[in-house]
Amino acid sequence: MNFVAPDFMPVLPELFVLTMTCLVLVVDVFLEQRQRHITYGLAQLTLLGAALLTLFTYAHAPVTTMFGHYVKDAMGDLLKLCIYLASAAVFLYSRDYLRRRDLFKGEYYVLGLFGVLGMMIMVSAHSLLSVYLGLEMLSLSLYALVAIDRDSPVASEAAMKYFVLGSLASGMLLYGISMVYGATGSIDIQLLADAVAKQGLGNPVLVFGLVFLVVGLSFKLGAVPFHMWVPDVYQGAPTSVTLYIGSAPKLAAFALVMRILVDGLGTLQADWQQMLIILAMLSMMLGNLVAIAQSNIKRMLAYSTISHVGFLLLGILAGTPEGYAAAMFYTIVYVLMAVGAFGVLLVLSRTGFEAENIDDFKGLNDRNPWLAFLMMVIMMSMAGVPFMVGFYAKWMVLQSIVDIGLVWLAILGVLFSVIGAFYYLRVVKCLYFDKPEDNTPIEMSRDTEVVISANGLLLVVLGLYPTALMSLCSTALLG
Amino acid sequence: MLALIILLPVLGAALPLWLQRRGRNACAWGTALVVTLSMILLLGLAPAVFAGRLVQWGLPWIPALGLNASLRLDGLGLLFGLLITGIGLLVVLYARYYLAAHDNLARLYALLLLFMGAMLGIILADNVLLLLLFWELTSLCSFLLVGYWHERGDARRGARLALILTAGGGLALLAGLLWLGQVAGSFELSTVLLRGDVVRSDPAYLGILLLILLGVCTKSAQFPFHFWLPQAMAAPTPVSAYLHSATMVKAGVFLLARLFPVLAGTEAWFSLVGGVGLFTLLFAAYMALFQHDLKGLLAYSTISHLGLITLLLGIGTPLAAVAGVFHIINHATFKASLFMAAGIIEHESGCRDMRQLNGLFKYMPQTALLAMVAAAAMAGVPLLNGFLSKEMFFAETVHLARLGEISLLFPMLATVAGVFSVAYSARFIHDVFFNGEPINLPRLPHEPPRYLRVPVEILVALCLLVGMLPSYTVGPLLAVAASSVVGTALPPYSLAIWHGFNLPLLMSTLALFGGVLVYSQRAILFRLHERYPPPVGQLLFAAGLNRLLDGARWLTGWLENGALQRYLALLVLAALLAGLVGLWPTGLPATVHPGPALNLLDLVFGLLLALMALLTVRWHERRLLALLAAGGAGLVVVLAFVRFSAPDLALTQLTVEVVTTVLLLLALRFLPLEMRQNALHRPWRDMLLALAAGLGVAALAWGVLNTAPQPALADYFLTHSLPGGGGTNVVNVILVDFRGFDTLGETTVLVVAALGIAALLAGGLPQPVAPAVVSLPRALLLQIGVRPLLALTLLMAVYLFLRGHNLPGGGFVAGLVAALALVTQYLADDFRAVTVRLTLHYPRYMAAGLLLIAITGALSMVLGYPFLTSTFVHVQLPLLGDFELASAMAFDLGVFLVVIATVLAILLGLGDPGREAV
Repeated sequence: MNFVAPDFMPVLPELFVLTMTCLVLVVDVFLEQRQRHITYGLAQLTLLGAALLTLFTYAHAPVTTMFGHYVKDAMGDLLKLCIYLASAAVFLYSRDYLRRRDLFKGEYYVLGLFGVLGMMIMVSAHSLLSVYLGLEMLSLSLYALVAIDRDSPVASEAAMKYFVLGSLASGMLLYGISMVYGATGSIDIQLLADAVAKQGLGNPVLVFGLVFLVVGLSFKLGAVPFHMWVPDVYQGAPTSVTLYIGSAPKLAAFALVMRILVDGLGTLQADWQQMLIILAMLSMMLGNLVAIAQSNIKRMLAYSTISHVGFLLLGILAGTPEGYAAAMFYTIVYVLMAVGAFGVLLVLSRTGFEAENIDDFKGLNDRNPWLAFLMMVIMMSMAGVPFMVGFYAKWMVLQSIVDIGLVWLAILGVLFSVIGAFYYLRVVKCLYFDKPEDNTPIEMSRDTEVVISANGLLLVVLGLYPTALMSLCSTALLG
Repeated sequence: MLALIILLPVLGAALPLWLQRRGRNACAWGTALVVTLSMILLLGLAPAVFAGRLVQWGLPWIPALGLNASLRLDGLGLLFGLLITGIGLLVVLYARYYLAAHDNLARLYALLLLFMGAMLGIILADNVLLLLLFWELTSLCSFLLVGYWHERGDARRGARLALILTAGGGLALLAGLLWLGQVAGSFELSTVLLRGDVVRSDPAYLGILLLILLGVCTKSAQFPFHFWLPQAMAAPTPVSAYLHSATMVKAGVFLLARLFPVLAGTEAWFSLVGGVGLFTLLFAAYMALFQHDLKGLLAYSTISHLGLITLLLGIGTPLAAVAGVFHIINHATFKASLFMAAGIIEHESGCRDMRQLNGLFKYMPQTALLAMVAAAAMAGVPLLNGFLSKEMFFAETVHLARLGEISLLFPMLATVAGVFSVAYSARFIHDVFFNGEPINLPRLPHEPPRYLRVPVEILVALCLLVGMLPSYTVGPLLAVAASSVVGTALPPYSLAIWHGFNLPLLMSTLALFGGVLVYSQRAILFRLHERYPPPVGQLLFAAGLNRLLDGARWLTGWLENGALQRYLALLVLAALLAGLVGLWPTGLPATVHPGPALNLLDLVFGLLLALMALLTVRWHERRLLALLAAGGAGLVVVLAFVRFSAPDLALTQLTVEVVTTVLLLLALRFLPLEMRQNALHRPWRDMLLALAAGLGVAALAWGVLNTAPQPALADYFLTHSLPGGGGTNVVNVILVDFRGFDTLGETTVLVVAALGIAALLAGGLPQPVAPAVVSLPRALLLQIGVRPLLALTLLMAVYLFLRGHNLPGGGFVAGLVAALALVTQYLADDFRAVTVRLTLHYPRYMAAGLLLIAITGALSMVLGYPFLTSTFVHVQLPLLGDFELASAMAFDLGVFLVVIATVLAILLGLGDPGREAV
């Protein structure tokens, strides 16, 4: 067969990350433990390089390449930039934590970079095949990352559960993909959309395909009732890995939903809307209700993630450009908050002490007022307190479903975010109103301090002036 | 200018913190300066407002959300603005002398300023969403101010309760305002206020009203959300006086007044707003009488008066609205002074319990006098401001004929509320200042410092002035404020003290005497109250919260018990349900394209497969048996492939099955022999679930088989296999030619995986539980048998390899077969013995295989074709006759080598752990 080389220019960032990751992998083998910072530096350099490449080639009109399996568009580029940013922060926050636990190994960064590559592929996928490839690349990296602390039985158990459940969900997703392919004869997202538009929902095979796709996607997002892995994995994994799982992959998962449900099966919106309503409702309910009862903050944040996913789904199920933009805004903002929250958690942990209970935040204001302030900002933003960016995120998604007439769902969302505010405020109460139980000074390296401060302040700045990010999101989806 | 009024206090909040080091007086002066500046700015705009102009200012902020920084100042805003800054100034002075030396004054001032900015934001906002932002900000400030003494448990609880209720109500309000904006077509009040007709006739009107009312009732402590206010009394008294009587709790009624032209005038408005107001008025007035805590009494009284204002606005007539606005002013003055007086009493005596506080008149006559005047204003005694607005209220209830026959009920209920209001005012005066001697007070009370009393004096003077000369003092302000509430020209009304003998006066007189009577007979009422206490909101709330927590814990335990089995079961169940829901509307597809007919053999195969799967699960505690059953299932699949004419697949499946079974057998040795027994009920549950899922998948497969196939890819490969790839075995041609690039990738992955596994195994495994090989004597027959078999099997492998391009076979299968031949040798004999004889260096073979594939591909590039282009020639071989030699064969050879080396590398690692495999 003739082989025509595709246009490699649009995939330049992916190629760069791939090459660099392989380089890091090889270089790391020849490094001594005390030189491990070179691996770290190279990993950050990779992200920086990819960011520059993406920035310089920022797409204004969509370009497809790799035989239609890959698309470069503004949504993808914006999400990718956010992924680099979030991952860079994750790598930085994790560094000292890993070092104190003898986990500062090349694997963390290599797997992390492979995960980033997987996310990039997911974000830019233009066929069900590349969607799946990217997803598995990310998932496999995550499974391994969870188990990176091999001596921890809790982490191994979490990894095992994650792997078994994740494989099952991947299988269902693949099943769905194969059925959609069977019904339409295409895996290219564009051709798929055309075929679906032509034949409509008369074909039950397509319906089943859709069902299984939604099941698979829900699992990856962590929406109820496919959320079971989230709390166990969040709690069981080393906090640095939880941070990784809880941040950038959410952006990729959002892209996944957008590519498959909106770009590919957009004409079936009426059908998946029903399913997403149920998922969103259950997620908001269960996430917020169960979070109240948690005393472990990693677990609490896991349930909080689940509830945030519920909110994010609200934007998507609205099925309007405004709704998608709102969901995208929500996702980006959520990642910013999650990175910050786990970042503070990582800073609080030290050799021989794992900060993971809400009580560990007691009296943080007396120990380090600045850190307490940042944590308060993050918690308030998560709770959706006005003048914090999290508030606008909630507002936008609620607005988008009010616009399509689902007022009852919006009211439900409001109700559960009130319940949600309860447990975030419990943390704030611990920060300010309680006496510290442990007065060990908090060590923080200079760069961590700078970045974590910027992270927290960004929530406030965006809270005062969210328009820039909002318009970025909406132009990315429209343009 | 308008923006500056808000920004000054918000930014000025930093000033006291900065001045902290220069002492408390500097702090107070700085704060007072900020407040005064803000007030002067406001007063500067007052002439324009009195002239009937609307002062406006705006900037776009977040246009995507319809949120603009647009402000307006009208009469209502001016009135509230003056209240906020004026009382704010007095509170600043009061707090300076109220707080103890060890309390952080600067923090209180900073928070108060921030709150003042937010409150001014509410009243000046033109954009309803902006209003909401400030609304929530006041809730936050209130949270921080109530929790000011955060080392006290009641302060923390009160703060949290206040925040949850008010901020939560605020979110409901957000929903309501969003909806309102959607219906009205704009979020700007200037536009919304003109669209009253549109909004009132919209079907969404009731929903909007309910949501907004939810926000109003939580903020203004209306029943059934009133209970946070008494709890918030844990705050320092300046905060209670300022936030929880004069300003913040008025935000709710302010919003009602603000939206009066849009929402008022309907039946729903009357019954909802009026009903809530009336009930709160009565209930809270009754409750206030029974409070022993001085501030608790004032809190319930505040709730009751807020109910009164709500009721007045709910009545919906212009006159009632005027009365409501008037009462807002009056209540702010007398209640703030009462709170401050209560604060003085607590400050000087260290106690707030009215059962201990008695006869204080002797000790602090001046304060007592002030408090008594203020309390009289609260009771509605003539010549004081409270009397005027109460009189207007009574007049309104008299003229209310909306309810037909039972309209008489309104004046009666109003009088009852008046009676209780007089009664608790009487208790405030009599219990505290007279009624015997103080009991067990922490310290002996005396008059407070001069400046602690000044704010009270000013406020009480205002009560008197307004009470006696209403038209000259408050008249113009009331007129301009009321007209911006009503929206149209004001009806004629008179602010005179004396209206002649009429029904309202009679009601006032009745209330006064009735109140005194009730107070004198209070012992009876107290006993009654103790025997039948009304359900207390906060207890219900706490119980509800506990119920919620218990529910959450139960849900966690049930859903997240940590067992993978539970998760898997739930996952499968959820997927199954989702599938069923998907199936519901359409049903199974009709037979479009009949699939292969079912015969008896297929059925037997199917049942056999199911049986094997069942046995695998059933025997899972005895791993060896389970493994055999799994192998059996694999063999049935092989048969199925044969049945459906896929010999190539069958062959591959067969060899893979055997190799994996052997590898698993070796791996089993490392697992513990003991297995935990399962709970009894679970197998049945799982069986049911598995059965359902299996049936679901079967139905699905049936559906897919019965739909018309797409123009199959297979046709393309079938037609192009021979001419393009030179082979008739399409599967093989696809592997080595059409998808050669993929195969190269897969082979590489295989090598990497093998190396990884070998490295892991070399890293050390636990001591195996069982030996790798059965002991020698019993395996003698096997040992003798396998030697000749080796040659035969290898020959078979070569045969399969050579014919692979055209007939079932190929490099992969051949590799597996050859590997099997070698595996048998290891199994039958001692591992080390074979290792000595078979000195294969596996990684080398892998490398060779990969290189071969790469070179084959690259060669075509050298010849000017794209990578991996294949070609073929026919050669005549002596024994075999015509033989086709395709370049793909070299490719296949690479695959062959890699497969053998991989299988053996893994096998050696497992069979002989600790050995240097690579």
